[in-house]
Amino acid sequence: MSAWREPLLKFAMRLSRSVFVVWVAMTLVFFAVHGVGDPASATLGSHARAEQVQAFRARHGLDQPLLQQYGNFIAGMTHFDLGSSWRDQRTVAEVIAVRLTRTLTLMTMALFFEVLFGMLIGIATALRRGTLFDSFAMGVAFLGVSTPSFFLGLLALHVLAARLRLFPVGGYGVDTLDHLRHALLPAMVLAALGTATYARLLRSEMIEVLSRDHVRMAKAKGLSSMRVVFVHVVRNALPPIITLVGLSLPSLVAGAVVTETVFAWPGMGLLAMESIQSFDLPMLLGIVFVSTVTVQVGNGLAEWVVHRLDPRLRASQS
Amino acid sequence: MRSTRRAEDIAGVVGLGVMLGLGTLAWQALPPVPTAPAFVGAGHTTPQRGGTLVVHHEDDARSYDPAIAYDEISSMGLKLMNETLLDYTTELEFEPRLAESMPVESADGRVFTFTLRQGIRFHNGRLLEAEDIRYSMERMLHPDQSSPGAIFYEALEGCADYQAGRSEHVRGIQVLDARTIRFVLREPQQTFLNALALNFAAPVPREAVEAMGDHFARHPVGVGAFRFESWEPGLRATFVRNPDFFLEGQPYLDRIVIELNLNRGPAFLRFQAGDLDHMHRFAPTDNLWLHRQEAWQPTLVDTPNLDMWGVGMNTEIAPFDELHVRRAVAFAINRAAWRRARANRLLVLGQPIPANMPGHFDDLEGEQHYDLDAAREEMRAGGHPVARVDGRFVARGLEAPIEVWVGAGDTGRSYGELIQNDLAAIGLTIEIRQVAFPIYLDQTSRRHTVSLFLTGWSADYPDPSNFLDTLFHSRSIHETASENRTFYSNAEVDALLDRARVESHREARMALYRQAEEIIVHDAPWAFAFSNLVTDVWQPYVRGYEVHPVWRPLYRDVWLDLPRVENTP
Repeated sequence: MSAWREPLLKFAMRLSRSVFVVWVAMTLVFFAVHGVGDPASATLGSHARAEQVQAFRARHGLDQPLLQQYGNFIAGMTHFDLGSSWRDQRTVAEVIAVRLTRTLTLMTMALFFEVLFGMLIGIATALRRGTLFDSFAMGVAFLGVSTPSFFLGLLALHVLAARLRLFPVGGYGVDTLDHLRHALLPAMVLAALGTATYARLLRSEMIEVLSRDHVRMAKAKGLSSMRVVFVHVVRNALPPIITLVGLSLPSLVAGAVVTETVFAWPGMGLLAMESIQSFDLPMLLGIVFVSTVTVQVGNGLAEWVVHRLDPRLRASQS
Repeated sequence: MRSTRRAEDIAGVVGLGVMLGLGTLAWQALPPVPTAPAFVGAGHTTPQRGGTLVVHHEDDARSYDPAIAYDEISSMGLKLMNETLLDYTTELEFEPRLAESMPVESADGRVFTFTLRQGIRFHNGRLLEAEDIRYSMERMLHPDQSSPGAIFYEALEGCADYQAGRSEHVRGIQVLDARTIRFVLREPQQTFLNALALNFAAPVPREAVEAMGDHFARHPVGVGAFRFESWEPGLRATFVRNPDFFLEGQPYLDRIVIELNLNRGPAFLRFQAGDLDHMHRFAPTDNLWLHRQEAWQPTLVDTPNLDMWGVGMNTEIAPFDELHVRRAVAFAINRAAWRRARANRLLVLGQPIPANMPGHFDDLEGEQHYDLDAAREEMRAGGHPVARVDGRFVARGLEAPIEVWVGAGDTGRSYGELIQNDLAAIGLTIEIRQVAFPIYLDQTSRRHTVSLFLTGWSADYPDPSNFLDTLFHSRSIHETASENRTFYSNAEVDALLDRARVESHREARMALYRQAEEIIVHDAPWAFAFSNLVTDVWQPYVRGYEVHPVWRPLYRDVWLDLPRVENTP
């Protein structure tokens, strides 16, 4: 019984913190978007007459006081009712479900590339510290961190897709295999920033771990260098990486907006752009809601994995 | 330690140098940018049946319900699936489509009687009847629909009663038999036929609407050349050939795919690769590049939009309540300089009706044009002589700065600067006020609020009344939401426009509009400046594409010269 109490309590604490973060984010965004312009005339266009604007406002509850609208909005949010789009008659949840799958596909692929290439480069450079290879790889990584993704995206699209015809020029494709083929290039562009970050972090972590006593001990016992590196060094250098995976979710979500726009990948990012341009507030709020929740869930998962990986943290708990 | 750091520094610099070098080499080694189309046609000279046309739009369609959709992207699909009693030819003449011929018009110009073509079928197989046209129009006019198109049909007798729920039908829409329908207007109005050419008046089958309910916009049924196949929101919309189309042998294409949400940049790359067949929206740099490529010129067309832009002056606010000041502004706008500043993407205009439209007169008396001397002469005549003080021009009595309202963004700012620059030459100090579009629309439509602004109008239908009645008739003046944003009021113009609206003889009608326009350009509530130019480009194997001034772009009558072959210049 008592063995369960502490983790449950921790989980409850973590959950309430997440709910609080989502609530603050939604409140800020709600008032920010309701503070600018007139959604009715923006949606109906310049030809709309006064009665039409009135009807629109009444239908969407925009004629109520702002605080009451906010109340309705939060009430809807608590049972995951995100309302309907103003642009067409579909529900926000229905639209986002389709788009989220696509964005998650892109993000999963990007995350895979990030971690894979980031770790390869990180391990290689840490083991060859101070060599020309190290400086070169770190130089490239630095470039990766500092290149804006829209620029990298356009460059990749222009060179790799349009000129060399190695990849399709943006878009989504027609069947599953085709979708994945179309996702490759945007996923790699989206991964560029993360790859560089992971490589740099893993390199410095590994350098630190390599000089620890247990590594020297392992080497002294005559273990193979592969075993030393992967079992005794990489494993100990991993927790900050996993924390970073969790922390990098917001930047992946943000990067997806830019990358999806450049590559015409019809996911949440592109949906966010469309909704902003057409002043579709329910959709926009829905996107913010789903993104914040995704990020919170991702962070929670990362924390949990780190917990499982680090024996010290596990020990302190039981 | 120190030597290692230095070695690292050197290695870094060398590494960067090597990367730059390799990058440059790789760039040089890339295949060249194609300056010619990737594919050309097989060489057929007569229309061929078959093939799929792939086009794009950077936005998503909003709705495929003709009663409510009113945006370019939706209209691209609606014009494939729907037909109306009348339509326009590319020369902007009326052309009977669902109607067998042009309507029979009563002597007083209030009653129009149409006979439907025989054997027109909805995509669900049912025969079209006159009752379907009445049902569809009443559905669109119903207040629950809040259709943006309802405003165009207010001339119908009993329209207001129907909308207020006082009658079950619109009295002015009368079904005489299965193939005959009659429209009765409250008063004679020649422009009403235009309303029948809009998508809002397209017939939809009642049974499909009732079966689909709110989902009709996503499962539309019409009588047009193409049937709806699918619409994956934000992705693509697909239309397939209607084998029962009422025009024998048409359409030619098997399928049309509109790729949605595809940005201009990637779209252009795809177009160059031959993955897209037609484009009409470009990034400015791509557009300039395209105009310089010799090989693309045969399938590249620039057409002026049916829109008109200029500098609006509120005739109720000083100093623009003075005729001489307004005329001075109209003379001071250097339209050719504007065109150069906008990379030739606009067509200079000095009158209220765009070129290519009825009511535009190449020889309009007093057409506005740039003439700085005349502008300063007007200022002097108005008691504001322009003098040079400390290296800049000052108009006497008009030293206070004036705000010019423009939209947000780079385009708005650049027009603001052009106005600022031109009006400095007649001694007016202009400050630029950039605001979000909804705010701009709201404020400029309020009486006694904004004195000077960049303004424009796009045709709903190609008739001069759509510009002149809306923008310059005193009836369009309201305290708020005024479409006559300059609050220009001239009894003589009102009378001419009222007579023209009911005049059924075309020549006489245009003569009345000419008179009204001559007064308007003289009174200068606007300094008329330009229409936007729009570029269309298509692959050499796309045939039969004609730029339609109203329905841009219209793919209904296109055919493909297949199989396409790789272009070896």
